[in-house]
Amino acid sequence: MNGGYITGGWSFVWAAYGWTALVLASYGISLILRLRKSR
Amino acid sequence: MTAAAERSVIYSTGSGPIRMIAPNHRFPKLPYALVALGVLCLLVGSYFGLFVAPPEHFMGNVQRIMYVHVPTAWNALLAMTFAFGCAIVSLFTGDWKWDARLEAGAEVGVLLAFLLCCQGAIWAKPTWGVWWDWDPRLTTTAVLLCAFIGILALRHFVDDPVKRATWSAVATIIAYVDVPIVYYSVRWWNSLHQLQSSPATVSSQFYLPLRMNAFGILFLMTGFIMLRARIASRRIATELAPPPADLVGELA
Repeated sequence: MNGGYITGGWSFVWAAYGWTALVLASYGISLILRLRKSR
Repeated sequence: MTAAAERSVIYSTGSGPIRMIAPNHRFPKLPYALVALGVLCLLVGSYFGLFVAPPEHFMGNVQRIMYVHVPTAWNALLAMTFAFGCAIVSLFTGDWKWDARLEAGAEVGVLLAFLLCCQGAIWAKPTWGVWWDWDPRLTTTAVLLCAFIGILALRHFVDDPVKRATWSAVATIIAYVDVPIVYYSVRWWNSLHQLQSSPATVSSQFYLPLRMNAFGILFLMTGFIMLRARIASRRIATELAPPPADLVGELA
């Protein structure tokens, strides 16, 4: 934080995008596995 | 005969699965195409959000989290609205496919709401100085997430398909009351959380990544719900199938 302005913060941005990708990809893979198991 | 009673008869006679559970295989590849389209939109939208759109004046680069956070919020509420619609149709028609769709919508809604809370916490730390605050928007969202986790737990622990369908449909309708409260919480109460973001409240330079990611998560969510509904349909069909003839003979 610099006088009311936020500087930097790329680590938070990458964390949010990375976590989103990881969770969505994991759920997608789990769906495929469960679908195969249910056949 | 009420829908629930009809469902009981179908369950007890074992004649239901054929009528009810015909998972939608008219377009077997459609969910996969939607998922692929969703991933493509998310890749393009995230590229524009991360590397093309300018940083916001006060929040700088941290504001780029908005391009995944806001679409996730929209689609989480949409998935739960879908589950709510399925609950009503399931109660009134007794058709099992809507029960399967309810389960799918609720699970994907929980996934997106969980993701929403995580993204919000990551955005809150550099802007508010804390990972979490019991502010009205965050609190009502946490209540919504817990309520829908409860619905999934209910479905997991109740073995009787008829009771499970009825109870979870009623629980979904009750839990859904929180959705408009979540949406309007930032207008009704003093909140740390900003007002809803829309094209009217953000710069035109932010439109493209916001909309691309919104459609990306929408396509992804739709594909996920269709696939998850197939899993639920197959499980319900197995549960409703009449017992094997040899087992019937033994019991007789």
